[in-house]
Amino acid sequence: MTAILNINGISKSYKKVKALNNLSLQINQGEVYGILGPNGSGKTTTLGIILDVLKPDSGNYSWFGNSPNKESRKKIGSLLETPNFYPYLTARQNLSLVCKIKQVEESEVDRVLTVVNLIERANSKFKTFSLGMKQRLALGSALLGNPDVLVLDEPTNGLDPQGIAEVRTIIKGLAAQGKTIIMASHILDEVEKICSHVAVLKQGNLLTFGPIQAVLNKQEQVYVAADDMEMLKLVLAQIEGVSNIKPSTSKVYLLLEQGKDSAYLNKALFEKGIIATELGMQKSDLEANFLALVN
Amino acid sequence: MLNLLKIEFKKIIPYTTFWVIFGLVFALIPVVFYGIGQFELQGAPIDMKNTYRFPGVWNNLTYLASWFNLLIGMVIVILVCNEFSFKTFRQHVIDGQSKSDFVISKILLMVCMALFSTIYLLIIGALFGLATTDSNVSFTENIHFVGIYFIQALGYMSVALIIATLIRSTALSIIIFMLSILIESIIQAFVPGNIEKYFPMEIIANLTPNPLISNMMPDPSQLPPGAQIPPMFESIPLSTTVIVACVYILVIWGVTYFMLTKKDIK
Repeated sequence: MTAILNINGISKSYKKVKALNNLSLQINQGEVYGILGPNGSGKTTTLGIILDVLKPDSGNYSWFGNSPNKESRKKIGSLLETPNFYPYLTARQNLSLVCKIKQVEESEVDRVLTVVNLIERANSKFKTFSLGMKQRLALGSALLGNPDVLVLDEPTNGLDPQGIAEVRTIIKGLAAQGKTIIMASHILDEVEKICSHVAVLKQGNLLTFGPIQAVLNKQEQVYVAADDMEMLKLVLAQIEGVSNIKPSTSKVYLLLEQGKDSAYLNKALFEKGIIATELGMQKSDLEANFLALVN
Repeated sequence: MLNLLKIEFKKIIPYTTFWVIFGLVFALIPVVFYGIGQFELQGAPIDMKNTYRFPGVWNNLTYLASWFNLLIGMVIVILVCNEFSFKTFRQHVIDGQSKSDFVISKILLMVCMALFSTIYLLIIGALFGLATTDSNVSFTENIHFVGIYFIQALGYMSVALIIATLIRSTALSIIIFMLSILIESIIQAFVPGNIEKYFPMEIIANLTPNPLISNMMPDPSQLPPGAQIPPMFESIPLSTTVIVACVYILVIWGVTYFMLTKKDIK
């Protein structure tokens, strides 16, 4: 695995507020890395530093194994916070200007405008755009030159449900092409749907990181109910491969080890003389896991 | 370098505000200049048509145009403040420009604008001169005033650049830029001796000396022995003014670069 981005011990303070505390992180080629955390946890500060608009107080980072320079930034498509364009220029003029900065072909403009569904408004001035259109134009701008690495800061911010779905489809498509994506978000659902890896920040500290299943315990839960709930609990404890038994009022939740499914559980219960009245799978409660992690 | 300049042109060519101010300046200079020569001074033995004639035309025209340099400086204030208020400076860095590229772009743009204005004055001056002067007067005498006008235009724009970089809000920057001469003269009141003559706005303004005053002043080399010009009327030689102005311009560029590179881009 090739390291795309290496962050080594970066700290950053704004006057008295410690925004980032000794953050180290490695992001490899092809990973879709979500940076997750509540508002003010240091997500945007992290992205601002790796894009050279903010200076870290200490620590360093490298892109593609080299110390950061403007040439490496040209190979990264970025969307940081708000969409920044000239209001008096049209969408096409704005993107053509970015092409000149990134030194990519002008033909890219129409390609990305088509991808983000703005080709019909290509000749409208930026100031006439709605917030959602501005955000899509910013995403389009990040796609100019078809970069292998994308840095996206809350890419669905300000979009309507349809826009959110469109942007997610675009990002998933990019991930499927093997692009490396670094995405900050405070929307758990978004990270879960798009990312392969996740780093969780809180008040500038890295709480945990790794593959998303491991960090957010994405394993599916099994729930089961029977007429005799007390008996059920006793029997479940004896069945091989069952763990994390959590009884609630009407059901018992549990985890099954890899390779065992609900049919296995049903059979095992039946052999021990219990007939399940209800049995099913339920996705793990990511939000609860996340809140448990952050609080 | 050329790529940076192309990017700057892509920003300003469709920008109406830019063309309105520039158009106004370029339309007003010849109109006002023509107007001045049309004054009839009752009873005075001065032929105002002399305003247009070689070799005086270069000093007269550049002195008039120097007032409009404040407007051209205002264009720079607007263009630079735009980069901060639209957050496009930040975006350019994210997209792969360096902070020094930003300063270099703006300097290149200022040089282009100053060059353009200078060539325009050269044409206007030549037209007025050729239309009114007898053929035996030299076209090129005193033409150095036009070259010095170029430095002045660059000087005012450089002051505009640093004020805009420092203040970042368009409205406030324009006010401070317009008041900079006033602010400077207040500070000058507290400065002893000859130093006040070397203040930046004063130096830049003196690049295009007022032709009426400089015509009234006697040439120091032709004064009778022992005679002196009173100190308050004593002015710095134009060559010194040019050198000091160039130093100011370079210092302003350096400080602007330093201010931008040392700070976070919010």
